[in-house]
Amino acid sequence: MSTGVSPNMPSICFYFEVHQPFRLNHFSVFNIGNTRDFHSTYFDERLNQKIFEKVARKCYLPTNNLLFDLIRKYDGKFRISYSLTGTFVEYCEKYLPELLDSFKELFKTGAVDLIEETYFHSLSGLYDDLTEFEDQIKMHRQMIRRTFNYKPKVFRNTEAIYDNRIAQKIADLGYKGIITEGAEKILGWRSPNFVYKPVNANIKVLLRNYKLSDDVGFRFSARNWPGFPLTADKYANWMSNSFGDVINLFMDYETFGEHQWVETGIFEFLEHLPDEVFKHDNLDFATVSEAVERYDAVGDIDSPWAISWADEDRNVSTWLGNNMQIACFNELKDIGRKIKKKGDKDLLYIWRLLQTSDHLYYISTKGFEDGTVHAYFSPYDIPYDGFINYMNILQDLKEKAESR
Amino acid sequence: MKIAMIGWEYPPFKVGGLGTHCYGLTHGLADKDVHIDFYMPKLRQKVKSDNKNITIIEVGEAEVYPYDRPDDKELGGKFFDAVYRYNDLLVQRMKGKYDLIHCHDWLTMKAAVALKEKLGIPLVLTVHSTEYDRSGWIYPNQWFIDIEREGMQKADRIIAVSEFTKRVIVEKYGINPDKITVVHNAVYPIGEGEKRNLILFLGRLTIQKGPEFFLKTAKKVLDYEDARFVIAGSGDMLPRLIEQAVHMGISNKVIFTVKLTEEEVKHIYKISSIYVMPSVSEPFGITALEAISAGTPTIVSKSAGVSEVLKNCFKVDFWDTDEMANKIIALLRYDSLRDVMRQSSKREIQLFTWDRVAERTLDVYRGLA
Repeated sequence: MSTGVSPNMPSICFYFEVHQPFRLNHFSVFNIGNTRDFHSTYFDERLNQKIFEKVARKCYLPTNNLLFDLIRKYDGKFRISYSLTGTFVEYCEKYLPELLDSFKELFKTGAVDLIEETYFHSLSGLYDDLTEFEDQIKMHRQMIRRTFNYKPKVFRNTEAIYDNRIAQKIADLGYKGIITEGAEKILGWRSPNFVYKPVNANIKVLLRNYKLSDDVGFRFSARNWPGFPLTADKYANWMSNSFGDVINLFMDYETFGEHQWVETGIFEFLEHLPDEVFKHDNLDFATVSEAVERYDAVGDIDSPWAISWADEDRNVSTWLGNNMQIACFNELKDIGRKIKKKGDKDLLYIWRLLQTSDHLYYISTKGFEDGTVHAYFSPYDIPYDGFINYMNILQDLKEKAESR
Repeated sequence: MKIAMIGWEYPPFKVGGLGTHCYGLTHGLADKDVHIDFYMPKLRQKVKSDNKNITIIEVGEAEVYPYDRPDDKELGGKFFDAVYRYNDLLVQRMKGKYDLIHCHDWLTMKAAVALKEKLGIPLVLTVHSTEYDRSGWIYPNQWFIDIEREGMQKADRIIAVSEFTKRVIVEKYGINPDKITVVHNAVYPIGEGEKRNLILFLGRLTIQKGPEFFLKTAKKVLDYEDARFVIAGSGDMLPRLIEQAVHMGISNKVIFTVKLTEEEVKHIYKISSIYVMPSVSEPFGITALEAISAGTPTIVSKSAGVSEVLKNCFKVDFWDTDEMANKIIALLRYDSLRDVMRQSSKREIQLFTWDRVAERTLDVYRGLA
């Protein structure tokens, strides 16, 4: 509990999102109604395997190894947390079981925490009816129990999408904490470096310190950034001079080796960070579960509208910002109702794979600066291609839902 | 700065992007206080300048024929005679003190090269298309290629309308890339009209422009969705295309307008729902910008220079009629796609101004003067 702990002794809470979507095949209007095995016709297995293996080689495997060594070296005092999406774990099982083993080894050190989320990294938290959201959380919970024999205590929704309704639901499901963005629109003048609670629910909220997180995630190799070059001792100094209970550094796992290439020195940075942190008496590391256990909520968070950690806007406009995205989203929900009425398990699973938020992300037409980030992640040249492809597949699935 | 610009066509009498470009460029330059004497062939009707910095000087008595080679041998012979006569007259009649000569494409290259030597001033050449483009890369005519190469070699600086065209100039004509500057084209906005269920092709009916791919696409679309397909323009392929439409059983859905006036072109852009430019080889493709400025979502060939710079349009291989139909059907079916694309592309083409083209061209001039 925070009583007696000075507020300038923050714990560093490192948390990584590990996710891969199942990207789609080129699917033309002429394919609609002419498909049988939808898994191989909807999803581009070759591309997906290729990207997965590339990212595994550049990021997942070397970063896992480095973090494992660091945990051993500092005797468990270096502590981290992960959220692994269900689709990511399916990738591991299909293409690279040793990667999953490596996550299991990390977990066994006792210095690693696991975070709950929706199995499919979906936007189901925004549906009118939260049954599907709850189902996907339970699927993730089962997957984590099956794979790691663990029950996560902290939840993080897809890309930290959060509002009061989601917070209430997660509290009802028995979680101790929920993660979202330390956005000004919910914090006002307040600092993200404290634990808060929702106005309407009994659960703790961890808020991402987006400045310090993005210093590593986005700006690490930006030569025109005044902080460049970012060294481990400089970064540890910044954190040591930070005010608060907990510094939440939440980022894509691909930051290491994929968004920031090995040539940028990102691995050296990570390697030296614990050492530099431990040079400051006021700093330590905590997992997300430890952070919510250790610190009391200092205030309320009210978020009647949905926020997220995506783009400059930090809302859901990344996925639902234009009419093409909204048309797909509505179609997707409508098909779900049909499939659930029918009770077809295969169709249900495919529908859920299509709920992965990345499919809508590829259709974003947001402004130039954000747009370039989108373009970097997208398998499509332009969002309009993404729309047609996704919509065509949804139409094929709809025919199947209506006919079978 | 005073420029002698040698053109071939100028609004309101024009057949292609060349005339549009000359009009936009001369006005953009005039606004930057560059004085231009614009030389062009004498027509039946007089062309008047609407800007004090632009003087139009009509030369000779040549009749403007289609920019392309006419199919008809006799007409073709007259056309080349006219080109030669125009070039000869230009060399005789150009007088005055100029800082440089600027000419466009092969039609006036002979005169430009001769004048550069006679007057001892630098020559800038803008390449809007090459013989490879006009022939659709099928049996390009060596006679044109030789004229083009000579002009490119003698020019002090070359302006290419796209990176694609620059590559052709370097690779096919063996020109030093360092003297080539890429300046993409621009558009004068047209404005939106009330949209009808029309899908538009607009251009000369020649191999280069790929109208047969448009017809094949139309057939595929019509199996799924109803629409009218408008083929606007004339050219040597017209009879064959009409026959093809009948043969496909879609002649009641395809409208051939033949050659349209400037006003009619604007109107058809305004009322069309989708514009398709399936060119086999298109150095730039100003029509794509025109269609977009009229609020028409656009599908362009990947072999069009405009696809290098325009983000908010579909880009398809000209031969891939399945994919073209896939995009058209989606545009017909989904309002959301049409609306987002229309709005975003209209916003994007605000960047394509003749002022920018003039500024870049002026940079090239300044490098020589």
